[in-house]
Amino acid sequence: MEATHREVYSLCLRILRDPDDAAEATQDAYLKAWRALGAFRGDAMFTTWMYRVAANSAISKQRKRKRKREHEVGTDDDVMSQLPSTASTEALAGARIELEAVESALQLLPEHYRAALVLRDVYGMSMDEVAKQLKITETAAKVRVHRGRKKLKELVTMEQDE
Amino acid sequence: MRCAEVRETIPAFAGEGEPSLATRRHIAKCPGCRGELETYRTMLASLQSLESRPVDAPVGLAAKLIAIPREASRVDHVRSHVSRNRAAYAGGAAATVAVVGAAGALLWRNRERSSGSRRATKGWLATA
Repeated sequence: MEATHREVYSLCLRILRDPDDAAEATQDAYLKAWRALGAFRGDAMFTTWMYRVAANSAISKQRKRKRKREHEVGTDDDVMSQLPSTASTEALAGARIELEAVESALQLLPEHYRAALVLRDVYGMSMDEVAKQLKITETAAKVRVHRGRKKLKELVTMEQDE
Repeated sequence: MRCAEVRETIPAFAGEGEPSLATRRHIAKCPGCRGELETYRTMLASLQSLESRPVDAPVGLAAKLIAIPREASRVDHVRSHVSRNRAAYAGGAAATVAVVGAAGALLWRNRERSSGSRRATKGWLATA
């Protein structure tokens, strides 16, 4: 537990953005993991298995939070409306991308894109696994990842432009 | 193939899969699209490297996590006790409901009786 809790907390934070929610999701993940230890077959790495459990907890929390704060949905749209047009960012193609810029741009992505991108591109889950975690079809997962990458690139280039 | 068509597909194949032959040919001769592909690849490499850069967990979280097995055992113990003695608890709850209901009915009947006798006395006084 001591060895993995920072990684698990980081995954939850990258999906949920809020430190308190991430801490709650981490606790929930370890509780689920403790109860389901018998189901851990040992053929995968413990961290990989733990990531799946944590992603499940974080996404459940995200769903509950979304239902609870429906009025906050507009926040994501506000962020997206501030993006520059694709044409203006195209001029920046090939620009060096800073790690910090990617990390902070990830936090600005709308929830549904962020979760898909974190699972696929940060934690290397397969599209099939991403779809299962998000309870959507594999095609829908591919679309989210594709659009999420495009939006992230726009945000990164916008940040570097400032 | 036009740049716009190629750029639409770059986010997908920058991460996984292979671009079509026409796309590969276009990228080979178009510095703009090559730059775009390079940007995506660098961005995806940065994303991948985030996994090995965990953030600091809040103070006290580790202690809470360590306490989970103990807390969960306690909760599980209570749960299993309740589920093993479900019939007894259900019987107890039913008996409580019955007693409270009977007491309520008695109270209501007594109140009705006393208000009835008050009405009768008032009527007798009025006729007298």
